[in-house]
Amino acid sequence: MLRVKNLHAYYGRIKALDNVSLHVQPGEIVSLIGANGAGKTTILNTISGLIRSAQGDIKFEGRKIRGLSPEKIVAAGISQVPEGRQIFGPLTVLENLELGAYLRFKKKEKEAISSDLGWVFQLFPRLKERSGQIAGTLSGGEQQMLAIGRALMAKPKLLLLDEPSMGLAPLVVKDIMNTVSELRKSGVTILMVEQNARASLTISDRGYVLETGRVVLQGPSDELMNDSDVKRAYLGKDYKTFWEGRERV
Amino acid sequence: MRFWDGENEQMNREELEQVQLERLQSTLNRVYKNVPFYKKHFDALGFDPGALTSVQDITRLPFTTREDLGNNYPYGLFAMPLRDIVRISSSAGTTPKPVVVGYTMRDLKARGTVTARFLAAGGVVDTDIVQICLDPGLSNWGRALKEGAENIGASVMPMSHMSTLKQLLAMQDYKTSVLITTPSYAMHMIDVMRTTDIETSALALKAIMVVGEFLAEETRERLESTFSIDVRTGYGPSDVMGPGIAFECMEKNGLHISEDHFLLEIVGSDSQAPSASGEAGEIVLTTLTAKAFPLIRFRTGDLGFKMAGTCPCRRTLGRMSGITGHTGEILTIRGVKVHPAQIHRIINRNAEGLSPRFLIHLYKESYLDMIEIWLEMNDTIFSDEVKVLEATLKNLREQILEMLGLHVSIRLVEAETIDQYAKASGGVVDER
Repeated sequence: MLRVKNLHAYYGRIKALDNVSLHVQPGEIVSLIGANGAGKTTILNTISGLIRSAQGDIKFEGRKIRGLSPEKIVAAGISQVPEGRQIFGPLTVLENLELGAYLRFKKKEKEAISSDLGWVFQLFPRLKERSGQIAGTLSGGEQQMLAIGRALMAKPKLLLLDEPSMGLAPLVVKDIMNTVSELRKSGVTILMVEQNARASLTISDRGYVLETGRVVLQGPSDELMNDSDVKRAYLGKDYKTFWEGRERV
Repeated sequence: MRFWDGENEQMNREELEQVQLERLQSTLNRVYKNVPFYKKHFDALGFDPGALTSVQDITRLPFTTREDLGNNYPYGLFAMPLRDIVRISSSAGTTPKPVVVGYTMRDLKARGTVTARFLAAGGVVDTDIVQICLDPGLSNWGRALKEGAENIGASVMPMSHMSTLKQLLAMQDYKTSVLITTPSYAMHMIDVMRTTDIETSALALKAIMVVGEFLAEETRERLESTFSIDVRTGYGPSDVMGPGIAFECMEKNGLHISEDHFLLEIVGSDSQAPSASGEAGEIVLTTLTAKAFPLIRFRTGDLGFKMAGTCPCRRTLGRMSGITGHTGEILTIRGVKVHPAQIHRIINRNAEGLSPRFLIHLYKESYLDMIEIWLEMNDTIFSDEVKVLEATLKNLREQILEMLGLHVSIRLVEAETIDQYAKASGGVVDER
């Protein structure tokens, strides 16, 4: 579905991505893990067209998308849920969701949009309850749900999720991860960046490990979870993180 | 058609190439970071792993040779700290130092997958009884095959030091359905069987999987008709990788390469340019998934060629020929790689002063490779006293066995015998 080959990106003179290749198959959940500054978010931003200075090949469903504008990439079927949610705080929940369908609204897909709204409300009943509430007053977890819901309103085939667990309480993280798993069942393919490597590897099929802009390892998530390098660097080999702790309760 | 992991064995080519590129890039990133040997070599060439944009670019990289393995003995080429290594395998190698290969848990799992593919393609299923008969020199492979067969769920009789007769009795009594051995040992078993009252009709055998040596078509036909079974073969360099990194399917038309784990190149005689498909050359292998002991462009010393076209078995993995020969001086004796210099060193070590000249005589006895060392009589190594002389020879035989895992006999010869072959000392008289 998505094929990235030999991607290079720079911030000024600093190389953020150095020859990154990766792919996502339809129906997969793929995790990008790595330390702060390893280039994970840069990869998402390059795919979604927010960073346009990169070099390399990005193909989505056989079509070259590198260099296209972000809105064309959204129209092609890729939506991004940005790090830190970035919802429109002063607007209501419903208005936020409707804005997610902005491109489709222009194309007069009104009926389809309202059925998708139903689908998003089904995924996140909490958003339905609060559809008239001002988004800025939602809790962190609710805001994350809203951000995902807003991205879904563009009816993407591929969802790019940037740090969905950031700043959320352990129980809420688990909720969000369960929702991401659910999303896959409804036919959305997911490429996810996560600091919480254990949480994201638990729900994903495969993963890539990044270090200073380079991919140093890839493989099925269960193999990465048991990989000694990954354990040491990202999973905290010698203590149980909250994620695993919760699983066992 | 039987597959072990059908999804990967039938991956479409475009996807396979993407996977190969991703894995090659991350392998290069890891070796550059973790293995000083590779960092030094890449830097000397001015090669930046970040500049490799296609699998074909690998031809820009230097080769890794068996000498490099020897020079970095024991752990110099490991890309992981020892605390992450769960197995250390040692084999004789072909240099003064043994070859030491480390595996992480993940590496063992990958090897188990690749080996299981080979066995499953040969028809091994969970109800099979698998008997492994290999020389001690191939004990690393014995373990890999055991693990591969256990993955499938078969009942495995691992390698043991039983005599051929005992192996045959076990094969009959335990109802072995799959025998794993070398082609020559399988032929030898037929010979030994004739001296017993074991009938082929009393055997439950359905397949023989052979490794380690070139499988001649006549040998295959003879084994298949004698036992009324199928014979399939696998390929791997015995000192550093598994036994079935390429394997035959039911079509028996070339060996499918596990290209998602290994990159195979055929390098022409000028040792730089890649050979065209169908042209024979040296097999050069790069690991794509190995974590502990990655090898970049390892020169196997084996000759073979790539085969074009698709296979009716639906595997998309490319195919190679069986081994058509070897480069340079490296010999394959009973599947074990041997360099004549290894024997040279042992003889030198035992000589006082000038060491005696010798030739390595290879021949077949009841299909098995035999090694006889023709040693020139001179007084630097030999005593007039028979008892001392015998002790010296026994000692030499034991040292060679210890080094190579191979039994040898030693014949004392006159200088003229050596002269008549017009070979330098340490030369090989191969009459196999």
